[in-house]
Amino acid sequence: MLTYIARRLLTLIPMAIAISFLIYLGLDLTPGDAVSHMIPPDVIGTMDPERLDELRESLGLGKPFLVRYWIWITGVLQGDFGYSLAGGVQISKIFLDRLPATLELSCAALVISTILGSILGTISALTRGTFADQALTVVGMLGVSIPEFFFGLVAILVFALNLGWLPVGGRTLPGYDSFWDRLPHLIMPALVLSIMMTAGVMRYARSSMLDALSRDFIRTARSKGMPEWRVNLLHGFRVALTPVIVLIGFRLPVLIGGSVIIEQVFQWPGIGKEFLSAVRSQDYPLVMMVALFSVMAVLLASLIVDILTALIDPRVRLGD
Amino acid sequence: MTDRTPGPDPELALSVRDLKTYIYANNRCNRALDGVSFDIHRGKTLCIVGESGCGKSVTAASILQLLPELSRIEEGEIVYHGAEGPVNIERLKRNGRRMRAIRGKEIAMIFQDPMTALNPVYSIGFQIKEMLLYHTRLGKRARHAKAIDLLRSMGIPLPEKRVREYPHLYSGGMRQRAMIAIAMSCDPRILIADEPTTALDVTIQAQIFELMDTLKREQGTAIMLITHDMGVVAELADDVAVMYMGQIVEAGPVGQVLRNPLHPYTRALLESIPVLGRGKNQQIRAIPGQTPDPYDRPTGCQFAERCRYRVDACAEMPPETQVSSSHRVRCWRHREFMADAAE
Amino acid sequence: MSDVPLNPGDAVRSPPRPRTRRDAQFDRIRDREAARQGTKLRGGRFLSKFLNNRLAVVGLVIFASIILLSLAAPLIAQHDPKSPNLRAMLDPPSAEHWFGTDRTGRDIFARVLYGGRVSILVGLGSALLSALIGVVIGVYSGYVGGWLDWVAMRISEIFMSFPQIILVLLLVAILGQSLLNLIVIFTLTGWGGIYRMARARMLSIREEEYVQALRSFGLGPARIAYKHMLPNALGPIMVNITLSTAAFILQEAGLSFLGLGVPMSVPTWGNILNAAQDLRLLENAWWVWLPVGATISLFVLSVNFIGDGLRDATDPSQQG
Repeated sequence: MLTYIARRLLTLIPMAIAISFLIYLGLDLTPGDAVSHMIPPDVIGTMDPERLDELRESLGLGKPFLVRYWIWITGVLQGDFGYSLAGGVQISKIFLDRLPATLELSCAALVISTILGSILGTISALTRGTFADQALTVVGMLGVSIPEFFFGLVAILVFALNLGWLPVGGRTLPGYDSFWDRLPHLIMPALVLSIMMTAGVMRYARSSMLDALSRDFIRTARSKGMPEWRVNLLHGFRVALTPVIVLIGFRLPVLIGGSVIIEQVFQWPGIGKEFLSAVRSQDYPLVMMVALFSVMAVLLASLIVDILTALIDPRVRLGD
Repeated sequence: MTDRTPGPDPELALSVRDLKTYIYANNRCNRALDGVSFDIHRGKTLCIVGESGCGKSVTAASILQLLPELSRIEEGEIVYHGAEGPVNIERLKRNGRRMRAIRGKEIAMIFQDPMTALNPVYSIGFQIKEMLLYHTRLGKRARHAKAIDLLRSMGIPLPEKRVREYPHLYSGGMRQRAMIAIAMSCDPRILIADEPTTALDVTIQAQIFELMDTLKREQGTAIMLITHDMGVVAELADDVAVMYMGQIVEAGPVGQVLRNPLHPYTRALLESIPVLGRGKNQQIRAIPGQTPDPYDRPTGCQFAERCRYRVDACAEMPPETQVSSSHRVRCWRHREFMADAAE
Repeated sequence: MSDVPLNPGDAVRSPPRPRTRRDAQFDRIRDREAARQGTKLRGGRFLSKFLNNRLAVVGLVIFASIILLSLAAPLIAQHDPKSPNLRAMLDPPSAEHWFGTDRTGRDIFARVLYGGRVSILVGLGSALLSALIGVVIGVYSGYVGGWLDWVAMRISEIFMSFPQIILVLLLVAILGQSLLNLIVIFTLTGWGGIYRMARARMLSIREEEYVQALRSFGLGPARIAYKHMLPNALGPIMVNITLSTAAFILQEAGLSFLGLGVPMSVPTWGNILNAAQDLRLLENAWWVWLPVGATISLFVLSVNFIGDGLRDATDPSQQG
């Protein structure tokens, strides 16, 4: 198990280095230099140009690219992400402010879509060929075909504007910070964000379940005279689960991507919304750091998925 | 359960009469079993032999109603003679309570490929104990102890340790032993073995058969062994049924059938295997042609196209004819073959 | 059969097995076969399987009609999609303006038709381009292996560890917004998936005997790979092209909805929907967003149905 994790790390780390390198290359080629990453822009304006040049020299800006990369990456590893061009805020501070909202939204959507998707997919597989199965298939197809922001707009129109059950957007109202106060704000964005992934998980869970049900050990289980629920769930579903978890790991990037748009639709104060305004205002340092961060999140997720699969599947867990 | 006359043979474990099972995959109808009849007796082994696709496995699956979803038993009877009187299996709901009470407890089954027949994510012990959970009143500890006992009696070394291990750590032969342990855990009256050694090495094959033979002798289990290997038949069978294209073409006690084959297909099967010790000049004859398309079966004798002895009458389906009290054959010309043998 | 002694348990008359939903279906098949009307599945198995899939045929019809309508936009639309009409701002649907008008009085029906041209061009064009790149590299490197394979694999890994939307937005921020840039960006971010698929197919086909035979005839690797092996991988490639068309159309819509896709001056489906970000329009002028949202959904749905039909028709493992 430990060697297995170590082996996965060995493939992930070069990947992470390569991507951070590319990101730095992007930073280096886009407008704004290291000094503007390190000093709030309003301070730069008041500084005397000679001091700035001195500073550039002391920072090693004249040094070769690789050395500059090294200085930058060690800074990033210590939590120094540089400054946003707009407003000169520390990027690490933006992350601290905005990340919880994004995590809250994505985790809610992840949980909803995993549970709902695997249940619906399993039902669909177990009722294969019936009306229920066909209906679920078409609904799943609609789920992946309708743009999620369109779902969002319709949801706002119906549940917020017309029925008035839920707030139009935002995460909290000033002065109401408890979880129960925030919950109504979370419901719509989380549900809408989870639609597409639920549909994906459902399709996949269905085919994975069908595959599991067609295996020989299902017949063995049946030949023992056990009730169908035990055959289907303990033997079928349990085996079908592994590929579904792997899929959820692979879907994480989709979820992160989806949250960018959903945060905009629902005015959710997360990283995604911040990222969009950075793209609009060509605030390259912030854009690059969000990208770097999202890639690291994806790589981390894939590592977690690998570990989870290993925990579920004894063939991996016990080492082969 | 009224008394029947004549009184049933007390050794009779299962009787199948005129069984027809059709498979409906791909919107087509494959008449996989087309009128199959045989009996299984306690303490005896019935071998069902034939080429792949002849309906051997469908026969086994019909008995436990483990058929694929797109198939059904059309006609005929499968009567299980248990301690509580006969039961018409074909009338039971496929996965209903009464069918499930028979599966595993009364009739158990072992499958062709032990690599895929065991669930990879559960330990061997779990998969044995599962069976005990549903068919016995044993408590948790007792089930565990019984699982270890079963593994030990199947000749698996270190059963206390092995019981916790997962199938992928078992070798092929060990897995089939574990499979037999599962099947035998509730002392079933009938054990159905669907080509249990096809996926194993020849030496392991002998061990598995020995194990099955012991069970038959010591526990009086009725065994139905499905195979494509005439050698296995000669070795293990008490009775044999030769299948071709969903029908039994010849059946009877193994001595009679092997010594006096009355169906051309049985003869061809026997001629197509080399006999050890007869040297390299022995005549081995392959069966010409191929089995017909199951969706486009000939109307008459199914074997006619490949048969050396074909006559015009073969365009019509020959009936099953009883040639002695226990030997029957489905061929128009069996009388001539009997006469040949008598000479 | 009369000779067989019948001694089974006639006395036991448990009620007959209850009929299930399958029984009627089985009876139908059996009766048809008995009447010797067995349908021949041989000639054009692919086509007949595809045409037998009702949803796929419906998808094909919708797909073709939307494309035809867009192509014929100048013939159908009576208004110019770009010219504002200040006397007809936010008019509801009427005989004059079938889908009503937007905030600057532009005819929405005309905009949807003309917008379809751009949106479909972006979706289909990027899908075809990325398929071309992915297949050309994937087929060759999958068959030949070596350094090219290694490099292409690493590059695709890097591309695929970014959440797609983040990478797309990052590139938009660097390259700027234009129609051509968008196609380039989609192609850059989309080739990886199809490359990996083509490569994996090749790896498995490579082991087949006819390939060994061809090699022993002394045929060059390029000829074996493209001429003899590629045709056997076409099924999954076609499925992949349809699915990525759907994905790109959704992405274009999402980006344009955010105002970061095709420049707002060009009508596209996403750009038209952009107006719905205004909650007042969302609530009071349904014609501004509903027809175009429905069009996008319908089009993507039809593409997904086609993809599903193709998958079922080309996949030999799926029967019945």
